[in-house]
Amino acid sequence: MNENNVTCKEVMSHICDSLGEELDSPKCVAIKNHLDECPDCRQYFNSVEKTIEFYKLYNLEFNPDAHNRLMNILGLED
Amino acid sequence: MNEEEIIASAKTGDRKAMALLVKSYEKTIYNFAFKICRDPERAENIMQETFLSMVKSLNQFDGNSKLSTWLYRIVANHCLMEVRKNKHQFVSTDDNEDGFYENNFAGDWNLEPQNILENNELKKILDDAITKLSPDYRIVFLLRDVQGLSTEETGEITELSVPAVKSRLHRARAFLRKELNEAFKR
Repeated sequence: MNENNVTCKEVMSHICDSLGEELDSPKCVAIKNHLDECPDCRQYFNSVEKTIEFYKLYNLEFNPDAHNRLMNILGLED
Repeated sequence: MNEEEIIASAKTGDRKAMALLVKSYEKTIYNFAFKICRDPERAENIMQETFLSMVKSLNQFDGNSKLSTWLYRIVANHCLMEVRKNKHQFVSTDDNEDGFYENNFAGDWNLEPQNILENNELKKILDDAITKLSPDYRIVFLLRDVQGLSTEETGEITELSVPAVKSRLHRARAFLRKELNEAFKR
């Protein structure tokens, strides 16, 4: 497709699919080029990436007591 | 011993091998359960249920998929049963697609993700946003984006086609981004 035909709305509807996926299809190449030129879409892309990163890093420390309770329930205590 | 050998020993009743398997996956399963239900106590209960199922059914594990994939399927089922008890609080993800997008980027996205553990306000924003998302979508987002499983593995665990996984992932990402953007504006 002609990359000049890629609109912001189109980028926004496909950009999420492209995150973490292969970006070598003509459509995705056009989207990458659009990102280089469109600050709004770039900001959207970055904020989706950041959203994923927030949830990736939000972990709880695994309490040793929780481990002991688990092994006890399973009958696998040391 | 590699994992395949440990599984084979555990199947024969070797308690040490079974304990090794539990230790290998307990943190992952606990945090996955927490990310679905957003409650440490419920996450621990779900983790316990998951490993009870593993110990009981390990003989049925045929090795055609990874053990982690098999465990994710078990924990996802336990999570769905648990989270659906609070079904009333979720937003419909069948809303008009335009509702997921906005042209207003007024939210402050300068927060650094690596500071998440010291930022209780941000944790609450993340908890509030994801608990509004339907659990069926939440699980796809967490498996694919947060745990880093492939689209195919996510489909296998959730019994969804690849296009259905992509569609749910796309909507979940857009929904969460929009919710965070709204919160960061305040």
